[in-house]
Amino acid sequence: MKTFFQISAFASLAAFALTSCDPATPVDPNPGDNTNKIITENITVNETWYSDTTYQLGGRITVTAGATLTIQPGTVIKGEAGTGANATALLIARGAKLMAVGTASMPIIFTTVADEISHEQLMTGDFKGPNLDPNVSGLWGGVIILGNGIISASNSAGDVSEVQIEGIPTSDANGLYGGSDNTDNSGHLSYVSIRHGGTNIGAGNEINGLSLGGIGSGTTIENIEIVSNQDDGVEVWGGMINITNLVSWNAGDDAFDTDQAWGGTLDNFVIITPLDHCFELDGPEGSYTASHTIKNGNVQASSDDHTSHDLINTDANTPVSLEHIYITDIKPGQIINRVDAPAVFFTDIVLNVDTVQNFIKGGVTVPGITAGTTPKANTSVFSWTWAAQSGAIK
Amino acid sequence: MRTFIAIALLISSLSSFGQSGTIRGIVLDSESGETIIGAAVTCATCENGNTATDLDGNFSLKAAPGAHVIEISYFTFQTLRLAGVQVNSNEVTVLGELALNPEDNLKLDEVLIVAEVQRNNEIALLTLKKKSTAMVDGISAARISQIGDATAVEAAKRVTGVTVEGGKYVYIRGLGDRYSKTTLNGMDIPGLDPDKNTIQMDIFPTDLVSNIVVSKSFTADQPADFTGGLLNIETKAFPDKKIASFSLSTSYNPAMNLNTNYLTYQGGKLDFLGFDDGTRRLPAGARGSSIPTPIFYPNSEVTSFVQSFNPTLGAMKQMSLMDLSMGYSTGNQWEGKKTTKSGETPKMGFVLSLSYKSNYNFYNDVFYGEYQRYIDPAAYELRYATKQQGQIGEKSTLLGGILGFAYKTNLKKFRMTLMHLQNGESRAGQFWIDNDAEAVGQSGYLAFSNNLEYNQRSLTNILFNGTTVKPEKNVEIDWRVAPTLSLSTDPDIRKTAFTYGTDTFFSAGAGGNPSRIWRYLQEVNVPFRYDVTKKYTFLDEPAKLLYGVGNAFKFRHYEILFYDMQFFGGQSWSDDDPNQVLNPANIYPNYPNRIYYQTGNNDPNPNEYSSNSNTASAYVSTEFSLNLRTKATLGLRAEHYIQRYTGRDQAYASGNITNGKNLTNDVVLNSLDLFPSLNVIYSLNESQNLRFSATRTIARPSFKELSFAQIIDPLTNRIFNGSFFQYAAWDGQLVETRINNADLRWETFWDRGQMFSISGFFKDFSDPIEMVRIAEQQTSTEFQPRNVGRGSMFGAEVEWNASFAGLSESMENLFFNGNVTFIDSRITMSDVEFNSRKSYERIGQTITNTRAMAGQSPYVLNGGVSYTTPESQTNFGVYYNVKGPTLQIVGLGLFPDVYSQPFHSLNFSFTTKLGKEKGISLKLRASNLLNDDVLSVYKSYQATDKIYSRYMPGWGLNGGLAFQL
Repeated sequence: MKTFFQISAFASLAAFALTSCDPATPVDPNPGDNTNKIITENITVNETWYSDTTYQLGGRITVTAGATLTIQPGTVIKGEAGTGANATALLIARGAKLMAVGTASMPIIFTTVADEISHEQLMTGDFKGPNLDPNVSGLWGGVIILGNGIISASNSAGDVSEVQIEGIPTSDANGLYGGSDNTDNSGHLSYVSIRHGGTNIGAGNEINGLSLGGIGSGTTIENIEIVSNQDDGVEVWGGMINITNLVSWNAGDDAFDTDQAWGGTLDNFVIITPLDHCFELDGPEGSYTASHTIKNGNVQASSDDHTSHDLINTDANTPVSLEHIYITDIKPGQIINRVDAPAVFFTDIVLNVDTVQNFIKGGVTVPGITAGTTPKANTSVFSWTWAAQSGAIK
Repeated sequence: MRTFIAIALLISSLSSFGQSGTIRGIVLDSESGETIIGAAVTCATCENGNTATDLDGNFSLKAAPGAHVIEISYFTFQTLRLAGVQVNSNEVTVLGELALNPEDNLKLDEVLIVAEVQRNNEIALLTLKKKSTAMVDGISAARISQIGDATAVEAAKRVTGVTVEGGKYVYIRGLGDRYSKTTLNGMDIPGLDPDKNTIQMDIFPTDLVSNIVVSKSFTADQPADFTGGLLNIETKAFPDKKIASFSLSTSYNPAMNLNTNYLTYQGGKLDFLGFDDGTRRLPAGARGSSIPTPIFYPNSEVTSFVQSFNPTLGAMKQMSLMDLSMGYSTGNQWEGKKTTKSGETPKMGFVLSLSYKSNYNFYNDVFYGEYQRYIDPAAYELRYATKQQGQIGEKSTLLGGILGFAYKTNLKKFRMTLMHLQNGESRAGQFWIDNDAEAVGQSGYLAFSNNLEYNQRSLTNILFNGTTVKPEKNVEIDWRVAPTLSLSTDPDIRKTAFTYGTDTFFSAGAGGNPSRIWRYLQEVNVPFRYDVTKKYTFLDEPAKLLYGVGNAFKFRHYEILFYDMQFFGGQSWSDDDPNQVLNPANIYPNYPNRIYYQTGNNDPNPNEYSSNSNTASAYVSTEFSLNLRTKATLGLRAEHYIQRYTGRDQAYASGNITNGKNLTNDVVLNSLDLFPSLNVIYSLNESQNLRFSATRTIARPSFKELSFAQIIDPLTNRIFNGSFFQYAAWDGQLVETRINNADLRWETFWDRGQMFSISGFFKDFSDPIEMVRIAEQQTSTEFQPRNVGRGSMFGAEVEWNASFAGLSESMENLFFNGNVTFIDSRITMSDVEFNSRKSYERIGQTITNTRAMAGQSPYVLNGGVSYTTPESQTNFGVYYNVKGPTLQIVGLGLFPDVYSQPFHSLNFSFTTKLGKEKGISLKLRASNLLNDDVLSVYKSYQATDKIYSRYMPGWGLNGGLAFQL
């Protein structure tokens, strides 16, 4: 799998610069006309959202197969409040694309209608939430991207190639994901900050900040910030997508969650104080299997008012390679839940503690996990995030 | 239509001043069990020496105190002479049922003399069972009172082939509730539970019941939407004489009553009457899609809105009391002072019955499990996803009243019966929830949940019934209208679950945020029927032609409102007492918890719907004898059924008008069906019959099933999806199940109700409806009703009631009765189901494409030994009841099937009459003597069974007294 993650932050910036200069980028035909536009209908033909307009999600808005939603840099999208059937979300169905490519000086913000952030504020270079604390969650749903990548799912229909994404009732067929194309392209997300979401449908059935179901490697996901989502920050189900430069801050559940044999790489990340697991890494659920890599990251496991449930949580059948991760602010009781899973590999995992075995299940030691004080993430690429601007990234 | 009413025979002798007394009785045809109209009743020594029976077969004579001789005669029947009928001053002597024997070919032209008045009150029902061409069975008020059953559901269990599910729902021949039907006074009544097709029988106190009759084979004069059986509850109408009784009983179950660990929660002041006093009402402004939240609302509005919710979120321990049951019944009948133009004396009567019951259930060790298979086909055992273990306390209060008036002349009768039932059930539970992260689709957590529920049900029914007999035309006309309003509300179902980890807090991704639900169900039924029975002669034998029309309109409105507690920012809890959660210090804008509520309700609400249905029916049926031995009923019924729906899906409700779906009184089911029926009875000899029937019936989807409803069960998080949603394997078109039925039965009868029978039956189901687990969903559990291929079943049934007289003369009053039914049901799986099972085939397992029908028990066994003293003053009995393991939930692939396990119910009852005048009845009962558990388990090939649900009802004792006032 290592051939897939050789995209450096520098290269992606260069790629972005090309995109932003693309002469084909559409121009708002009526600039300044709409300051607030309520969206209630699915997007079934290509559509562009312009930065001078605030888009208000009035429900679960789906970009259906064949359509592309393009969002200009500096656009603010706000979800209305609600829970259960009343939850709002942006759902990119299989075969549809989301082109949400912001810049480090003009990111795209997904947030709640309660957030007073505006395009005008973004123009000043201040990307912090103006009125809501960075621990306010559950005010709307989240961003869900679904693709045709291979998933390892076994459910009541047996070993199946498609299942329903968490948080969307099965009555909405746009919630299906999974297929046979690991090179599938669901679009491009860059410099996107998703805030205050994660409203729930039922216990254990919420919407993650960014849900990635069966996303193929043709998709680009980089420079992402998730702030205070009531469920997981990012959850990935299968597929082969690589994620570069991620901040997951104050997740109500897990900071980063993987399922159904994801085959990609998470490279360069900062995780700050999720309430449940910092990493919730599950194995295949069907016969198909693939291994993922999580590398080059800093994790802060507690703060004054947030303490994570544990550090790294894997199942007996999880296939993952964890490399170059530095975990700080560890409190007694916070542990790595197992080190004996056959397909879990630890390389250069550094815990900022005195006695490392006190933080490993069974009190054992393993070569890949050591005590130390060396950060592993390149945090310079996160200067555009709310977390960095407010000093939450140490 | 005849009403087969067996009225309690109570020969009491209240002393009072006056001169003459009254003699009353009811005259029956011993052959058919039907009442005889116009039989001549003569009594030389009586004041009105000659009279005739009225359209109910009743007669009444006035006589001076002393002994009298009465003769009853009717054309083609042997005359019955009753000697020594004792009359006391100012009292009513009730002779009960008097059966006339038809003159047979031997022409024994003699008067049969009966020295003693028969005290068997079940002639009508027993004869009905023996002689009716349809297969019917039942239990009378007299028998119910003998056994001492308190509610209709307990009494119904005594009827052959009947089992009871969850203490409330009646299953006939082990067929699920979908295939059973319950009517009240022959008229449709709405069920009070939106999840069920039949009514909860536990809400009918036996004080209000005249009899319960079960029909197992369809005849054209009955509604066609039953397959297993049609159970009709007939309420009391008209007493033979002035009655007044008061009963009081109490129960003690060591696990449930006087238990200091009993769980309850702070309810309202009127809970003891079965009403919520407003404690649980929906706060003002909570309806609609926008409620005060920190977004766009001033702080004070958010605070006061949160405070308008009841702050009780936790259960509390409080000692439970003893169960209590009280009943008062009174009634009387009078002869009118004036005679009508035709010289008849009209009769008037009334009956009033009031009952009150309160009972406690406490289940100390309740368990709910969600289990999965392993992916590895060599791993046989099951693994858990979620285990819930805890305690439930529930208190049920039932208030019932029935008031009936009747007026009749010899050939005309009118009655009106008003009934109201009010039931409140308060439930509090506490559970540890253990979720295993290793299981597929699960994240792993530990939580402790407090669940508070209240269910308020009521049913108001008014029956108008008129009957006219036209002897000159040999016609009887009966019409009935019985509108019913039923309401079922679940106000403020609260679930509050702290998640325990490094910190204790509410975690949306684990134990969930605290939630509250309100559910409202209103249903109106307006059934009407008009039936004509005409007697005629066919091949020189009496025959009957029945025809009629009917119409049943039903309307239902259902709505679910859902609210989720949210925290504006982080949480910090100094203690985990749920009753402190809504402490003002935690309510928005107070830091750190800043509680506010978020609504789950769109406007319009996708979980609100209105449905209505109309069944217009017409039938013709004839009952005739082909020869002296063969009697047949041949009928044809037509029903035009139309169901309409007003509702919408989630997409439409959230504003997606283009792609969302919205129906406004749209027709969702429209069918005209013909239901032929043939029932034949062949008398092998005087005491043996052979029966055959072939019928066609129907089972229609319920209102809820034909909808866009998506209903979450707050306790289990299982989600019900209406059938309108389309999936890859489902087109969203749910249709009726049409069933062909065939029955064959041999039976033999002896005296005193002794009998033995063997039956076989076959049923063929096209498009049976089952709840199917939705394959696409694995994070949560979703179900949808779907038509699933074709089903069939074969059954064999043995029934007996025999005295031990054969063993010893002294044991002639000891009876052994029971029935055993074996059913082999088969359904051909859909490809989706078969493939998903196949993909989870374990090594060594062979999966075929058939299985038992869901909800169908492979066997049902009822048995009892009872003893009645010759004077019927004392009875005791031991009764056993069990139903075989039944496929409860069809599991697919990863998820194993769930079977409800047999519950071995063994009960004992004793009743006797005390006092000088025997005016006091004493009842003693013991229930669940085997102390069995109610258990459902997951079953998988070579795996240890794992518990799906388990609770322990415990054994109990009940004692009661009834006084004749």
